[in-house]
Amino acid sequence: MRRLPREVGSWIYDFFYNEHSVAYLKIDARLCIAAKGGNVEHYGLSSLCIGKPVADQLEFMEGLLPCPELPCHMAMVELPNGRVADLHLFTGNACVWLLFLDTTAERDNKQRLQQKAYEMTLLEERERQLNEKLQSTNEALRKSQEGLSREYQRAESLLLNILPASIAERLKANKKIADNHAEVSVLFADIVGFTERTRSVGAVTTLAMLNYFFKTADRLSERYGCEKIKTIGDCVMVVAGLPLARSDHANALARYALELRKAVKRERFAGEPLRLRIGIHSGPIVAGVIGKRRFAYDLWGETVNLASRIQTSAEPDEIRISDATHQLLGPKFVCDPLEETELRGTGRVRMWRLSA
Amino acid sequence: MQKKICMLGGFSVGKTSLVRRFVQSIFSDTYLTTVGVKIDKKSVALPNRTVDLILWDLAGEDDIGSFRVSNVRGATGLVLVADGTRAATLAVALTLRERVEAEFGAMPFVLLFNKSDLRDRWAISDREIDEFRQLGWQIYLTSALSGEHVDDAFHQLASMVTA
Repeated sequence: MRRLPREVGSWIYDFFYNEHSVAYLKIDARLCIAAKGGNVEHYGLSSLCIGKPVADQLEFMEGLLPCPELPCHMAMVELPNGRVADLHLFTGNACVWLLFLDTTAERDNKQRLQQKAYEMTLLEERERQLNEKLQSTNEALRKSQEGLSREYQRAESLLLNILPASIAERLKANKKIADNHAEVSVLFADIVGFTERTRSVGAVTTLAMLNYFFKTADRLSERYGCEKIKTIGDCVMVVAGLPLARSDHANALARYALELRKAVKRERFAGEPLRLRIGIHSGPIVAGVIGKRRFAYDLWGETVNLASRIQTSAEPDEIRISDATHQLLGPKFVCDPLEETELRGTGRVRMWRLSA
Repeated sequence: MQKKICMLGGFSVGKTSLVRRFVQSIFSDTYLTTVGVKIDKKSVALPNRTVDLILWDLAGEDDIGSFRVSNVRGATGLVLVADGTRAATLAVALTLRERVEAEFGAMPFVLLFNKSDLRDRWAISDREIDEFRQLGWQIYLTSALSGEHVDDAFHQLASMVTA
């Protein structure tokens, strides 16, 4: 063992003793306090009774003795009087010694540093948590935006089912829609004897009948570049030359009428094919959107009224066209003149039967 | 009769606050990290006896390696504490228990998920907590702030260590 000069050793002893307020307890084999000494007041140990069990007087000694592994060291234990001590347990002379070395200042220093470090770590953890939350919120936002855009597309396609595309575009741009169209052809078609057939076939067949008729009318209007404007009961109204003008509107609508008449006969309802009455007239009209919540694109004008009257006057399976329409038709169409007929509200009208 | 009980868990999970709530019925919002050991005592009245719990509030760990397992010597029960808003603190509490059991053998314990008042920041799933319950563990969702289930947990442990 290295020996220090007596003066140095003595100085270290005094310094350490004062700096750490050394105190001790001597504990006998019965785990009672055999002796105490040093700066016991510093740790509030003055009132400890010699000869009584140590664990009854010092709570923190509960369970510690007998200790199979000595020496043993517990760092920075805060005692009931607020002092902090390193506790050393060791054996000697058939007794256990409990040494108190004050570390209050060291504990306080370490706590200041530790506090800063932990607070920093907690902040970082919290930041990470918030970032993760932000990311998942962003993800949810992105998903709901996707949903919204799907909804928008659905609404858009619904709108296109109701209105012609170019009209829908203008409507979305909040423009007023009322146009004069110099030349269009207008067709009306309804089912012959619809009311009577309804009575005999029942609701389900009636609905199937109408559905088939209107679907066929829709499908063909796409093929021939016409617009189905609306249905009124069992009647369908179709126009050519709208919303974009075309010079062959009469031809287009004539072809449409011939095809429609043929197509509806392909299906039978209660054993009977559908038979139509079809009327066409050509002339100027006004077209526009009315309504604010339930949009409807519609046509108005004398041309529309006359087309409707012509349709009403037609025979079953007949396509009846006005003289105006007939004049616009190309040479490929086969038409027979009809006798001039008195139409309600119009007077005598010259009309033609379109047969092929 | 007195029994040594150790509080084990990561740093800032609320060990000191739980002891203060249980012993003195107070809560402070200020975080003050524990360095070393603080020792408190509280008498618990059980149906047939009274037991003094000597509560060793051990410094929380961010580094398991620095844990002084020798401080647990003489303990008869453990309060494992996890912070319900920080999922990683659960693993710390479980690892500390393993360290203690390796040194001193199995002893009774309760597992506390603390800070149950912070519902909107809760980070541990009910399913995970149920899995521990199915192991037969005594689990408590505690709040040192409101005091919710704090006494229940300590009383449960008191009856376990005196059984």
